[in-house]
Amino acid sequence: MIRNSTFIFYGLALLGFLLLPQLIAVKYYLHLSVLALIWVIAAQGQNLIQGYTGYVSIVQAGFMGIGAYSTALMGLHFDLPVWLTIALAPFVTAFFALLTGYPSLRVKGHYFAIVTLAFNMVIFIVLMNFHELTQGEAGITGIPKPGAKDGLFNWRDRETYYYFVLIIAVLMTGLAALIVRSRIGQTLIAIRQNEDLVGAIGIAAWKYKLFAFVISAMFGGLAGAIYAHYQSFINPEIFGVAQSLDAILAVIIGGSGTIAGPIVGAFFVVFLPEYLRFADSFRLVLYGLILVLATIFMPRGIVGVTSDLLAKWGRNKK
Amino acid sequence: MVEVIQQIINGVAIGGVYVLIALGLTTVFGILGIAHFAHGSVSMFGGYLTFFFVTGWGFPLLLAILVSLLVGLVLGVLIELLAYRPVRDANHINAFIVALGLTMMVEGLNLEFFGHEQVVIPTNFTRVFNIGGVTIPELRLYVILAAALLVFTMTLFVEKTKTGQAIRAVAENRDAAILMGVNVNTIRLVVFSISTALGVCAGVMVGSLFAIAPGMGEGLVIKGFAVLILGGLGSIPGAVVGGLVLGITEALAAGFISSAYKDVIAFVVMISVLLFRPQGLMGKK
Repeated sequence: MIRNSTFIFYGLALLGFLLLPQLIAVKYYLHLSVLALIWVIAAQGQNLIQGYTGYVSIVQAGFMGIGAYSTALMGLHFDLPVWLTIALAPFVTAFFALLTGYPSLRVKGHYFAIVTLAFNMVIFIVLMNFHELTQGEAGITGIPKPGAKDGLFNWRDRETYYYFVLIIAVLMTGLAALIVRSRIGQTLIAIRQNEDLVGAIGIAAWKYKLFAFVISAMFGGLAGAIYAHYQSFINPEIFGVAQSLDAILAVIIGGSGTIAGPIVGAFFVVFLPEYLRFADSFRLVLYGLILVLATIFMPRGIVGVTSDLLAKWGRNKK
Repeated sequence: MVEVIQQIINGVAIGGVYVLIALGLTTVFGILGIAHFAHGSVSMFGGYLTFFFVTGWGFPLLLAILVSLLVGLVLGVLIELLAYRPVRDANHINAFIVALGLTMMVEGLNLEFFGHEQVVIPTNFTRVFNIGGVTIPELRLYVILAAALLVFTMTLFVEKTKTGQAIRAVAENRDAAILMGVNVNTIRLVVFSISTALGVCAGVMVGSLFAIAPGMGEGLVIKGFAVLILGGLGSIPGAVVGGLVLGITEALAAGFISSAYKDVIAFVVMISVLLFRPQGLMGKK
């Protein structure tokens, strides 16, 4: 019964996402929806390490940056087709995640968070200062859209890109669900609940943590690559620590350790700042306040609260 | 050689600031188990406030620092009571995320009250000493001395006083300390006050040595944690050694390699220490 209702829920959600471009009248909201879907991919990755494994990583935007710059630079210098560079970008990101994950996973809890945050700063500083490669603050312009000029789809059209990102986001959400349900995913949850116990029964926890970290980085890298080809322009600005905090916020607000959580959370972090425009410079304060209040009063996120309410309602009906 | 000594002295000055930040972080971590990420922004708030009192209201520097310390204390205590206390029994991740939210809030308030422009706290310590070709600005010397004095006072307080003893007891074994009649809630507030006071001092030092600008708080708190990772957790000597190593590395890197990449080099040092000594330079296995 519960399985069925979950399937119905996801089916309805998918239908909603498919119809969304037809329902949106303002082009700008379609643009935000594309961004939100890109954030869904990144947040699903963040959820694997933060929500399921219990390690808060503050480098997701940095990994998005690595993905974005690697796809753009590979296209620029090696003249590779767009599809190939998008597909390769997560692997480039994975390489950096392996290098950084190994030392940073030697410390636990808060210190892991701080070390990953330092990595995000390093990535940002390098993107800003390595002018020969990244063109610094000015960024890279003219990143091509996928597909040929007179191909089957018109990639300059936002709607086409929306459906493209939607397909990827659905696939990646499915992949995240598969990982979580697999043996590996169960081990990750066990690490979150009691890492010492996992070690005590002879499981090398560090391998699983490294796996989760690298996979989550690959999600980020893919999201960054798709972002680069969507905007056709990237600069270091959006790959800083603040955006990594957005990824954390997306997971927490949506519901950490749930598959639906990052989807809700991603739309939340993309649309909320738009609605907070009225607050102007108090926006940061409000944003922080929402984060604090949500953590104190709603630690299981929107999805957690909703499913609690639904369960209660179900019981009452009987 | 003179150049090297010059950079080392610069490094000791900035290292002193890092030591103060790290001390504040490590006491909070020891007692509350929280990575108090907003510490950097609170420190910058103290620096801004001092600047405001000196330039806006014409306070003498010492009075301005004193008043900022008091305001900082109130802010620190409020943060503990309103934000950290509600999540003290929850998962540690929650407290950390609250800390991130607080950082945004304090950064936002700093922007709102003090604007986007960078500010320098004016001092009249403009003399420059010259010893065998090595130049030491008067201000830098005072910063080093003040940092040393604060570390010394802090050590005395923690080692010799009754309250200090209680703090150490709570850090070592919270439940046993409660059974011995230590009021943990008061200790939490005391620790937060001390930590915030140290932070405000660090903020004033940064503001007079360099400048305060939006976003600097985050950089500073990351350096503070890097110091703890370098030096080893929960010990005052660890924080001192870690802070000096980080400060000197950074100054040497800025002087001889590249000032744009000095932070990168500092983090690389931190990560290599982590690879070979995960417990830190001064930490016990």
